[in-house]
Amino acid sequence: MKLEASNLTKAYHQHEVVNIEHVAFGAKGLEGLIGPNGAGKSTLMGLLTRRIAPTSGDIKLDTGSGVKTLNPLKSHEVARIGLIKTNQRIQGFDSLTIRDSLRLAMTPPKDEGFMSVFASHRDPEDVEERVSQLIEAFPFTDRNGYARSGGEKKLLDILRCLIAEPKLLLMDEPTAGLPDDITRTVMDMVREKVADGKMRVVVVEHDLPLIWEYCDYVHFLSEGSILFEGEPEEVKSNRVVAEKYMGV
Amino acid sequence: MDYLIFSFSLMLVYIGLAQLLHVQFGLLGIPNFGVVGFWGLGLYGTGVLYVSYSMPLIVAILLASLITAAVAYILSHLVLQRSGQAILAATLAFAAIVATLIITEKDITGGVQGLGTIGFPFADVASRNVIYFFLLMVVVVLLIWISAKLRDSRMGRSLIAIRDNEELAASLGKDTAGTKRGVFVLTCALMGLLGGLTAPLHQFLVPYLLAPSLTFAVWIALVLGGKGHNLGAMVGVFATFGLFDILIETYAPVPAEQAILLPNFKLFCYGVLLVMIIMFRPAGMLGVDGPRTRARPATTPAGDASVKEG
Repeated sequence: MKLEASNLTKAYHQHEVVNIEHVAFGAKGLEGLIGPNGAGKSTLMGLLTRRIAPTSGDIKLDTGSGVKTLNPLKSHEVARIGLIKTNQRIQGFDSLTIRDSLRLAMTPPKDEGFMSVFASHRDPEDVEERVSQLIEAFPFTDRNGYARSGGEKKLLDILRCLIAEPKLLLMDEPTAGLPDDITRTVMDMVREKVADGKMRVVVVEHDLPLIWEYCDYVHFLSEGSILFEGEPEEVKSNRVVAEKYMGV
Repeated sequence: MDYLIFSFSLMLVYIGLAQLLHVQFGLLGIPNFGVVGFWGLGLYGTGVLYVSYSMPLIVAILLASLITAAVAYILSHLVLQRSGQAILAATLAFAAIVATLIITEKDITGGVQGLGTIGFPFADVASRNVIYFFLLMVVVVLLIWISAKLRDSRMGRSLIAIRDNEELAASLGKDTAGTKRGVFVLTCALMGLLGGLTAPLHQFLVPYLLAPSLTFAVWIALVLGGKGHNLGAMVGVFATFGLFDILIETYAPVPAEQAILLPNFKLFCYGVLLVMIIMFRPAGMLGVDGPRTRARPATTPAGDASVKEG
């Protein structure tokens, strides 16, 4: 699974937010994307998942069974290929319980057609089992009810994406609004899945210790362009990154 | 007696329309203010096909529903992905266009002179209106049953997700635009079907039937009963159409000189009721009904135990 973008630009009112000659994600397992505020990290994530239309440039996804150009696809078609993104800002389905929200994410769209109205059981056993497993791994206040706090909603957002079993998962600031121990549980879970070869992950984060600890490879984005890429140790000691980001 | 059967038959049509609106707006969040337009297309479509082309009634009704579906399909491409207000305005305008075309295209529709007559099927049976009433009831009960099943199904869950947060649902791989289009076309076609089924009740069609008051009556009923409750539509129609149009207007012992005020009094009551509901019970009289999924023994024990601890 390799996601590649070339000559990708996005401008709002002639102001260029993203201008990337070439970048590839998904080659190394767990990758990090760092950069100062306003560097264009979230815009880049939006561009990659087709939530935002690029001004110019190509986005290609190599699924192993052929290369697909993502440009003409709609947001849901990108998700169906296996590219899913968690949200930086809290998003949720207010009328769905935690369980229903996870069941929804795990159910493939072909099982949600009109014929499902007349099905005797709503969700198959394996879905129920997987949902329960995931819910029990985390301290939700009401496991059979709704996500209450902002933290729970944020966690649910990440779990929804995990249970949907993407091939490439983009995580937009997973630590923002989450307690430290929960972030670790989530990241350990993610690392395990990556180690099993089930998916590749790109994490966008300001929490640098987390990036250094979990990531195998780090991209540094500043002022809309990729300025440096490398192993965490290389990035840490790079002068450009230090100047532009860590304020040294 | 015949009048009572006519009223109750018409009430069933209203319940059916409100039920379809519950699916469109309550489950999927599409504010369709053109109910009377789709219903009217079915009504006049059936009338024209039956009277001018001498088709059998049932064929005319089905064909008119198909025409309604086609029109709804075109409309869905134009407006469905816009904001709620835009859909509201566009569907309202659509209904106005239908009503105007019915008046102006008098070669086809008879214009203000009207179109008729459309008889009941099984014309040689004496109590054919009673039989027809039960036929309508079967259709409406079926609609309520299916929408109850829909609510608790995988499809219903995805509709609710689309209503709550369309962008998020799309990012999880749900074809939100396609689903909305499909459900909209199907439910509008069913509104057309109900329109077709109304034709024999009125027997003689006049453009006055297509006034927007039908849309508002159905909306008021749905909001009163509870847009998120599967039986809200039915309860709402009982509380408005059933209570006022049938019970009070026909049977209340109102002195003749005051009787003329009744229709205005009815509108006044609708207004007060609506304001009170919105102020004190915004989810409607019945509120929102939760999904009726049974707990699965395989998954609950561990979950229940940990909930009690917490």
